[in-house]
Amino acid sequence: MRLARDGRTVLDGAQLRVPPGEVTALIAPSGAGKSSLLRCVVRLLAPDAGAISLDGVPVADLDPRALRRRVGLVAQTPVMLPGTVRNNLAYGLDAPLSSAAAHDALRAAGLDATFHDRDAHALSGGERARVAIARALVRRPEALLLDEPTAALDHDVALLVVDALRALADGGLAVCLATHDLPLARRVADRCVALDGSAA
Amino acid sequence: MSQAVAQVVAALAFAGLAAVLAARLGLGLGREIVVAAARATAQLAVVGGLIAAVFRVPELAVAFVALMVLAAAITAGGRLRTIAGSRRLAAAAIAGPALAATGLLLAVGAFEAAPRAIVPTAGILIGGAMAATTLTGRRLLEGLRDEQDVIETRLALGDDVRTALRPTIRTAMVTGLVPAIDQTRSVGLVTLPGTFVGLVLGGASPATAARVQLVVLLALLAVELLAALVISEAIRRRVTAPGERVVVPPAG
Repeated sequence: MRLARDGRTVLDGAQLRVPPGEVTALIAPSGAGKSSLLRCVVRLLAPDAGAISLDGVPVADLDPRALRRRVGLVAQTPVMLPGTVRNNLAYGLDAPLSSAAAHDALRAAGLDATFHDRDAHALSGGERARVAIARALVRRPEALLLDEPTAALDHDVALLVVDALRALADGGLAVCLATHDLPLARRVADRCVALDGSAA
Repeated sequence: MSQAVAQVVAALAFAGLAAVLAARLGLGLGREIVVAAARATAQLAVVGGLIAAVFRVPELAVAFVALMVLAAAITAGGRLRTIAGSRRLAAAAIAGPALAATGLLLAVGAFEAAPRAIVPTAGILIGGAMAATTLTGRRLLEGLRDEQDVIETRLALGDDVRTALRPTIRTAMVTGLVPAIDQTRSVGLVTLPGTFVGLVLGGASPATAARVQLVVLLALLAVELLAALVISEAIRRRVTAPGERVVVPPAG
């Protein structure tokens, strides 16, 4: 696929497959278009050419809101919405979120149930990253896309996060991790795909 | 000395005093003060003559109100020019509420259906709608840029654009309406607004002047709220792209 923004080509000829049950690492230097590519998948950006499919169906043919529940996107610096962690998890859900489901999502993201009632804006960067993952998980996605989820984290916290991602993939989720950190990618990923940034 | 001559002499003396004082204090404003005073004199002389004609010929009153709407739309549209077609959008946000309110006030008999009542009333309502349109629109465009991450987060969690933009639009509308609300609640305590002063100077009783002023002020609240709503809605449509996306216009 190809994408230009503000008259500048940021992606050209990018190709990627993200199968379920695996962690796929997208390795690229900063500015190579990783964030743009991930945002194209959930249609927050529209690519200029190329095709992106979910389960064989082009994403352009899917209802964008349904698509964004099936494919969770965790931004590089996750934004916490106002209120508690629980408010964040439950944001925009059609049905009320049960405490059990919230606890499951927090645990799967590497947090314990005590985070449930914490003020989301008082959390550390590493905690925010994991709440953002849990927030995507309560929507029961088929795939999880993460943009540099460990960039702002200490090494120990980064390991906690990638171990949580590994466990999620082992549970059947398709996980795609965009990072510039090759050693980290090697530790967690089943496959590494390089984006060379030559278009930028 | 007649009153008219005394007024002109007094006014010129004040402007002269300000210019001399500014020069003595080395403010570098002497020239600007003289130019501003000359412009005010010329503009008011022209408008005075024009208004006299407008009050005599009703057709001219319609043209004059249209001119006010046009000037307001160009002013507000210029402040929102990063949005395509901003002048047309501003014209709709200003003319719709302001002219509807003017028509309603005339229809219920709150003012006499004569140019001398219609033109100033429409002028005040158009001015208020213009201020609300500019303030709300600018704040909304800033909010769309500043809160891009939050808006994208809401969209990524499954919101439609309307829901994702609601907090940003609410903040913009509140910002746009603060001056109207403050003006309304401080009236008589901090300021004596133009309508009141004009009517009293023109010989109306203070009670009549207060009553007319109240009608105008309360109408302004509704007009400015509607103008803020229309411009917000118009901008929301402009930034909404197919596929529940938001395309934020560049700063500028």
